[in-house]
Amino acid sequence: MINPVNGRPGPLLALQSVDKWYGEVHALRGVSLEVDPDEIVGLIGDNGAGKSTLIKVISGVTSRDGGEITWKGRKVTLGSVREAQALGIETVHQDRAVVGNMSVARNIFLGREPTRGIGPFRVIDRKVMAEDARRLLAGLRLHISSVDQEARFCSGGEMQGIAISRAMHFRASLVILDEPTTALAVTGAQTVLGFIRKLKEDHISCIFVTHNLHDVYAVADRFLVMVRGTVAANVSRNDVTVEDLVRLQIGQGRHAGGRANGG
Amino acid sequence: MAGVRRSAGQKVRLFIVRNLIWAILLFVFLVFSLTLPNFFTLQNIHFILYVASAIGLLVFAESLVLISGSMDLSIAHIAGLSSMLTGAVTIQWLPFLPGWTGIVFIVVAGAVLGSVNGFFVGRVGINPFLVTLSTFLMYNWLTFSINRGAISNVSPALVFPGGGRVFGVFFAIPVMLAACLLLGFVLTRTRFGGYVHAMGGNPDAARMLGISLPRMNFRVFTIAGALAGLSGLLYVGYLKSIPSTIAGGDDIFLAFAGAIIGGVSLKGGEGSMAGALGGVLLLGVIDTGTAMTLIDPALRGFLNGLILLGAILINKYRVRLRDRILIPAGSSEAAA
Repeated sequence: MINPVNGRPGPLLALQSVDKWYGEVHALRGVSLEVDPDEIVGLIGDNGAGKSTLIKVISGVTSRDGGEITWKGRKVTLGSVREAQALGIETVHQDRAVVGNMSVARNIFLGREPTRGIGPFRVIDRKVMAEDARRLLAGLRLHISSVDQEARFCSGGEMQGIAISRAMHFRASLVILDEPTTALAVTGAQTVLGFIRKLKEDHISCIFVTHNLHDVYAVADRFLVMVRGTVAANVSRNDVTVEDLVRLQIGQGRHAGGRANGG
Repeated sequence: MAGVRRSAGQKVRLFIVRNLIWAILLFVFLVFSLTLPNFFTLQNIHFILYVASAIGLLVFAESLVLISGSMDLSIAHIAGLSSMLTGAVTIQWLPFLPGWTGIVFIVVAGAVLGSVNGFFVGRVGINPFLVTLSTFLMYNWLTFSINRGAISNVSPALVFPGGGRVFGVFFAIPVMLAACLLLGFVLTRTRFGGYVHAMGGNPDAARMLGISLPRMNFRVFTIAGALAGLSGLLYVGYLKSIPSTIAGGDDIFLAFAGAIIGGVSLKGGEGSMAGALGGVLLLGVIDTGTAMTLIDPALRGFLNGLILLGAILINKYRVRLRDRILIPAGSSEAAA
C-alpha cells in the first residue's frame, strides 16, 4: 500500500468518478474520494445529498452504474455485501440492521455464524457464539444483561454496540457508520463516539455519516461534504469550524467546488 | 443490570407461556376424554394423528413461509396439482413405470410448483400475496383441467406412504413427525434456519447483513412446495385414488389456521415447528371430538373459524405476557 510517487502509504479506499442512477434520478454524479489508513472521515450533507447512496455503494448493498473503486490499491467490483465484508468493509446501519426478535449473540454473528459439523449437518455453534459475543460486548464496556436476550429489549445505544461488535469481531479495515448517533439520547451518542475512538486505537479506518455536525466534529480527522450527488468539499478538520461546515453543507461555503485532497 | 437471573416462578411461567398451545391441547383432550365415552382410546388417538398428518405437512409448509415473512395461498393446491400430475404422468401416460417413481415425482413436482412462487416472489420481487393468489387459481383449475374425475388405479407403492401401516401404525404419522423434527432442527440449529427467521423478523437488516433475500425466498417457497407434494402423497394414500378435488376445500385455510393457532406470526420472524404441530393437533382433536357428538358437520367447519379467532386472541395476550417476563429488569425500553 505504498504510493510509488511520494513513498507514503496509499489510500485504503479510493473512489473514482462513481455514478449511480435511480431511474431518472442521478443520485451520485461522478463521486471521487479517498480514505486513508487510520483515518476517521466525516461524511456530511443535507438529506438527499447522496450520503446514503454512497454508503450503499461502498458497503455492497447496491451496485454502481459507473466509475472505479480501488481497495488497498487494487480494483474491486464491490458487487455484494459479502464481497465488501470479505475485503474488510463493515457497515453499521444505525440500529436498522438488528433483528429484534433474535438474540443479541445471534445478531452479532448473523450471516456469518460459527458452525460445527460437516455438510448438511453443519449446525451453528451456539457456545462459541455466546462466548465471543460476551467478550466483544465486554470489550465495548456494554453491560447487556445476557447475550441470549432478544435484541428488541436493547436500548438504541446497545443496538449500535451490537452492530459495532460485528465490525470488531470480523477484523474490518474500514467501518462505515451510517447516522450512528441520530436515534440516540446524549449518553448513547457519547457511548458511540467512544466506540469510534476505540476503532481508531485499533487502527481501523472509519467513515462516519451524519448530519449532526457537532458529533462528527469531535472525532473526525477530515470532512467530505456532499451536495446534490457530488463531493462539494474535502477539508481537514484543522482548517474548518463547525460554522464553516454548516455553510458548506447548504452549498454556499468558500470550499464549494472541491479542493485537492490535502492528505 | 447484572446477568439474567430469573426466579424459579418466572421460569415456570415463561415455560407455560412458551408452550401454551400444548397446555390448551391437553386441556381440550381431557375435556373430550371425560365427556365422550369412546374418545380416550388408543385407536382414536391413532386416528386423530393419521388424519392430522397430511394437513400437518401443509401447516409446516405454511409455517415455514410465514416465518420467512411471506405467505403462500397456493400451498394446498400445490398438493392437489402435484398429485394430479403424478397420476397423469406416472399412471396414465407412462404406466410401465414402477410405482415408487410416483413418490419421487410427486415431491419433485411440488418443489417445482413451489419454485414458481419462489421465482416471482424472490427474483421478480412481486408481493407474495399476489403471486400465490395467481398460482392458487392456476394450480386449482389446472388440476381440474387435467382430469375432471378421479384417477383410480393407483399402484400400491404410491398408496403405501399415506395408506399403509408399519407394525400397525399408519406410516403417514412417522412421516409427518419426521418432517416436523427435521424442519424444527433446520429452523433452530442451522444458518439457513436463522436466515429464515431474520428475513421474516427484519428483511432490511437481513439484506444489509449480506443475506440474499431473492435466493432465500426461492429456497423457502421451493421447500414449502416439496412439503406440499409430500402432503399430496399422503392424500393419495388416504383416498387410494386421485380425484380432481384432492386437497381442495378448506385445506388452504386450515394450513394457515394451524400455523396461527400454533403461535406462528403472520408478521414473520416468529414461530416454531413444535407450535405448528400443536396447532394442527388441536384442530384434529377438536374436529374428531365434535364429529363424535353428532353435531351438524357444517357447524364443525364454523367451529374451526371460532377456534382460530380464539387462538388469535389468546396469542395476543400470550405474547404480551411473555414480553413482560422477558423485559430485562432495569430496562427502560419497553417492547412496542
